Amino acid sequence: MLKILGRSSSSNVQKVVWLCGELEIPFERIDIGGPFGGNDQPEYLSLNPNGVVPTIDDEGFILWESNSIVRYLAEKHARGTEYWPDDIQKRASAHRWMDWALSILAPRHVPVFQGLIRTPEGDRDMGRISASRDLWAQANKVMDGWLAKNEYLSGENFGIGDIPASPFTYRWFNLPIDREDFPHLKRWHQEICERPEFQKHVIEIGLQ
Amino acid sequence: MLQLKGRVNSSNVMKALWVLDEIGLEYDREDVGGQFGKNTETPYLALNPNGRIPTIVDGDLVLWESNSIVRYLASKHSMGKLCPSDPGARARCEMWMDWQLTELVQNMVPVFHGLIRKSAEERNTREIGAARDSWSQKWAILNKHLKRNEYVGGANFTMADIPIGPIAYRWYELPIEREEYPDLYRWYKKLCDRSGFKKHIMTGLS
Repeated sequence: MLKILGRSSSSNVQKVVWLCGELEIPFERIDIGGPFGGNDQPEYLSLNPNGVVPTIDDEGFILWESNSIVRYLAEKHARGTEYWPDDIQKRASAHRWMDWALSILAPRHVPVFQGLIRTPEGDRDMGRISASRDLWAQANKVMDGWLAKNEYLSGENFGIGDIPASPFTYRWFNLPIDREDFPHLKRWHQEICERPEFQKHVIEIGLQ
Repeated sequence: MLQLKGRVNSSNVMKALWVLDEIGLEYDREDVGGQFGKNTETPYLALNPNGRIPTIVDGDLVLWESNSIVRYLASKHSMGKLCPSDPGARARCEMWMDWQLTELVQNMVPVFHGLIRKSAEERNTREIGAARDSWSQKWAILNKHLKRNEYVGGANFTMADIPIGPIAYRWYELPIEREEYPDLYRWYKKLCDRSGFKKHIMTGLS
């Protein structure tokens, strides 16, 4: 069976377990990282030298980097569906939002989320949190513009292009921060929130 | 014909230039970004709302995010070569391409911008030093991988080498301290023998 190594509160782990839920891929998840530790131990580092989560072990095939795991599993289990369309241009268009979540969205959200949720109140750098929030809002505006013209980040249908950004958007709408009005982002996020597997693997975990 | 938008001294545009060169595809390029501007103006933002470079236009597809451009062009034009046909081998390539975005480039930025794009007075040498140390730790990870693999993606040159190549050039050309990473260096020297790398990446630091 597919093994997923990583704690359920990590947004990167959530991408993978959520996809497995959507595609009904059986898996076993093992808690690693954060309060569980283990990610800095030789055994884990021999699988993933970066010491971050998640890593998968698919019958002996080892892979890390959550977006690459999502693409790998989607192609393996859902070729020809909206998760892995045959049209190469549709795939590329969806996958760009996965890279974008890594290059733009994640680094802007991290100081806000870590600062407000994983840092004791007295240690918070409110200036940095506020500056990152502003940058994060600009990134959300880019998504809002796309979603004004497209039903999903992936295009007409929900697909893997929607997966990496969604846990961050959940945090955007649930952190105690100022929020601009992004109606299309909100519409999209509400649709995502109606998905039972998103509820199970992201919403029920909450902010921790 | 495929259109590429972006100034040539951006490491992200270099990825696109290099993959196009490896494939042997013709294209039109327009200077955008940096001293050429245009990236914050309406016509460009209509193509790429991030105002960043590169962007390509290939028929009906307008695509941005440099690694997505590399993956798209390699899978469209070089399946079985730059883009491995085996899904597992391909996933391992993509994993290292993601790693360039998540781990490698973040630490390069303060060093490169600090030393090349800022004046001596603006430079924060402590910040540069700390970023260099973190950057070096990432190269140690790749060095270990390259001990057992000829190239990033395995036995052959693939799309996995492309995003990391321009970052490696900066590592070896910047006026910084460098630990000895023999397998990284062996791999880097092989990149330096490739005509596309010579032409589009080994062009100095600016």
